[in-house]
Amino acid sequence: MRRIVVRRLVQIIPLIFAVIVLNFVLIHLAPGSLFDVMTSEQQITDPAMLDQLRHTYGVDQPTWVQLAKYIWSVMRLDLGFSYRQNAPVLDVIMEQLPATVILMLASMAIALLVGITAGVLASVKVNTVWDNLISLGAVFFFAAPSFWLGIMMTVLFAVKLGWFPVGGMRTIGVDHGTLADALDVMNHLVLPATALGLFYAATYARVMRASMLEVFRLDFVRTARAKGLSRGRVVLAHVMRNALLPIITLVGLQLGTMLGGSVVIEAVFSWPGIGSLLFDSVMSRNFPMVLGVLVLGSLLVAVCNATVDLLYMRLDPRIRAR
Amino acid sequence: MAADPVPERTPILAIDNLQVSLFTRRGVLPAVDGLSLSVAPGETVAIVGESGCGKSLAALAVMRLLPEPPARIVGGAVRFMGRDLAALSEREMQRVRGKDISMIFQDPMTSLDPVLTVGDQLIEAIRQHTEASWREAANRAVELLRQVRIPDAERRLDDYPHQMSGGMSQRVMIAMAIACGPQLLIADEPTTALDVTVQAQILELLKELQTRSGMGLIIITHDLGVVAETADRVVVMYAGRKVEEARVGALFDRPLHPYTRGLLGATPSAIRRRGGRLAEIAGSVPALSDLPAGCAFQNRCPDVFDRCRAERPALATLLPQQSAACFAAEKELSRNVAAIGT
Amino acid sequence: MLALAIDFARRFARNRAALIGFVLLVAVIGVALAAPWMFPRNPLRIVGRPEIWPFASSRYPLGTDSLGRDIAAMIAYGARTTLLIGLCASLTATLIGISVGALAAYFGGWVDELLMRMTELFQTIPNLIFVLTIVSILGQKIEYVTIAVGIVTWTPIARLTRAEFMSLRDREFVQACRSMGMGNLRIMFGEILPNALPPVIVLSSLVIAGAVLFESAVSFLGLGDPNVSSWGRLIGDGRTLIRSSWYICAVPGAAIMLTVLALNLVGDGLNDALNPKLRDR
Repeated sequence: MRRIVVRRLVQIIPLIFAVIVLNFVLIHLAPGSLFDVMTSEQQITDPAMLDQLRHTYGVDQPTWVQLAKYIWSVMRLDLGFSYRQNAPVLDVIMEQLPATVILMLASMAIALLVGITAGVLASVKVNTVWDNLISLGAVFFFAAPSFWLGIMMTVLFAVKLGWFPVGGMRTIGVDHGTLADALDVMNHLVLPATALGLFYAATYARVMRASMLEVFRLDFVRTARAKGLSRGRVVLAHVMRNALLPIITLVGLQLGTMLGGSVVIEAVFSWPGIGSLLFDSVMSRNFPMVLGVLVLGSLLVAVCNATVDLLYMRLDPRIRAR
Repeated sequence: MAADPVPERTPILAIDNLQVSLFTRRGVLPAVDGLSLSVAPGETVAIVGESGCGKSLAALAVMRLLPEPPARIVGGAVRFMGRDLAALSEREMQRVRGKDISMIFQDPMTSLDPVLTVGDQLIEAIRQHTEASWREAANRAVELLRQVRIPDAERRLDDYPHQMSGGMSQRVMIAMAIACGPQLLIADEPTTALDVTVQAQILELLKELQTRSGMGLIIITHDLGVVAETADRVVVMYAGRKVEEARVGALFDRPLHPYTRGLLGATPSAIRRRGGRLAEIAGSVPALSDLPAGCAFQNRCPDVFDRCRAERPALATLLPQQSAACFAAEKELSRNVAAIGT
Repeated sequence: MLALAIDFARRFARNRAALIGFVLLVAVIGVALAAPWMFPRNPLRIVGRPEIWPFASSRYPLGTDSLGRDIAAMIAYGARTTLLIGLCASLTATLIGISVGALAAYFGGWVDELLMRMTELFQTIPNLIFVLTIVSILGQKIEYVTIAVGIVTWTPIARLTRAEFMSLRDREFVQACRSMGMGNLRIMFGEILPNALPPVIVLSSLVIAGAVLFESAVSFLGLGDPNVSSWGRLIGDGRTLIRSSWYICAVPGAAIMLTVLALNLVGDGLNDALNPKLRDR
């Protein structure tokens, strides 16, 4: 098993390599030279600094040398320097990454909980009012843009009803203990995580429903009932476990999209994660930061994909044999 | 013309005029049309017929496992130890399934949950109907696997179904079925999906388990070889109806119904000696939506005459402990009796 | 051929949800096409008092925004933008996807391996982040947004095309063509592609929906083309006023939702009509 884990993780390397090369290509597509891109809008006037940057990015050298230098710096985890925050790009990103990870985990949790429950319910009560309502709901939440949902939810729950805060991650200015702090964050997390998660919940509900209906028709379900198990037990212990497998694959495929979606949600709710960071950097033409977010974001998705793949292997014994 | 042959002891199962219909877009189809049969303790009854004759549906009806949207019990009673199973609530029926009556199915490879170990599924069956702890159930599971002659039973508990062969999977199914000591075991085509070499072993196992426990056994099959090997009594079904019932010896020696005779082929004794299979009968089973008036077999019957097309033959005891639903057979036998009489 | 089309249309029409979606879609297209007639003047012009609520004034049925522009006009013109970008981005994605999928399936071997790795790459890079990166580097023009959205949405089409091609590649009619001496390109695009197209077309309709959502997210963030009236941008502009005039955000968002809904329902209907065996439940 360990060998499979290592092999799966190693597959990430060429992927990230390709992302870095892609980055480089993108930079070259921008008007101006690599050097201009890396230093423009930063208003660097210090000649010594300019010299150092020229050396680091190999400005006057042939393209492939520049590429090599760029790859080398990224490998050393040097993603450049951000003058806007006056700190290395990597440091800034790592500081804001946890907030995004929390948001994504919470959204995925909501999406899975709501989606799977809705899907199971719809399949057990297939073709009844419940099923139709759930399907209707799924169709609507799948079509609504998540940022718009976020705004509407803010209007209803934060502005009109005052149940949740309008934005941010913490209540400013108050210093609680650790537990109270965690609760405060969770309070702020509800609206953004729900807004982001409902879109995926809709997908999971539909897929789970279809998957459950498929599994209901399989032979071993009849065997389970012939053993005298109650309907509830048959559904929970046998049908669901088999029906969940396609969902796990789906989760893996959607992690990239979800990270992108969190960018917009963070903008809507002023959530201090890398999404807000990206947005800010795009607006201020802070290219090193933009590209740094792209590379690290890709790395995050690749790692999550590998994790999901390994999880699937663990849960489906038929695959483990290979 | 009396009713069915009465077995010597009080039956554990008495199906009385069971009617199961399929509610489809093309209309209501009588998939099982007035089936009656009984099983005594320790007795093996074989239900024979081509696919689509309703034998599997009848078995599922006993277990109340009919696929509910198309199929439904619309008449008759199923009495197990005197209780009408059709009248029980779902909760009560769950207590019967797996404990008093068990069923095994045709394809063992797909009949086991692929994501759970064999042990887990066995233990689940045991703990469903007993108060056993997990450890006790695990021990009992090993015991059961040994009973069905699976080698290396303890390690097998942790195997997954896909790691087992067809024959071994069917043994596991049998182990699950007898786990709680049922009084009746229904086996729906238990050997059809298995290799020929394994078939005999499985049948032998079933008979051995039956002798040991005294349970009743219903074997549903289309293979007369299986019938010859295992059955005490045979019920022949055609287009949802019972057309003949007899003790196994009598059925092979002098089949009364033309359909049975067709199944046995030209030389009945030869069939019995080599454990033969279905012979081909001209024509095909009529669709349930297109049943002719009168006898359902009329269009394929070599002995058909006018009365067959007008009236539906009722099951009648034509010989001691042998009944058939056939006017031609009736006519033939009364002619013989008359001939003897004169 | 005509009989096939009629049969297809009948199967499609049996799905009531798909019909509703179709009607909605026609309505949206109608509004988009009729916009210059309904609202002859530039929708970005200021025409009245700011922040008038919908249904409050007969002149402005959907109200006015923070600057006093007619929301109804902006919605109508926004429909043109949305559909245009959705269509063009989907077309881009389909072209890229079909090419990649077809080449990978037809040639197999290292070509397949390479192209599949590339597909995996584009699936790993977070979509919106990539779009924003491209837009920030190349500039905020409608063409770049379209291309960027097309670049992040081609992967499912490539996968599907490859699967379809692989199942068709080994069929007899292809062997026959090869033995006749037909060139590879001609076989691929002349013979195999027309047979592989139907499911790809269905997927494309869902890709349009995705493109619409992407574009609206980009313009919501203020990174779209500033000279174009876009539904996403309307929502973005209205954000500061959600306490008092939240309709400025609600209306365009509802428009996006209805359009995407329509596209999804139609796409599902097309899928069902093409796969009749799944229907009898």
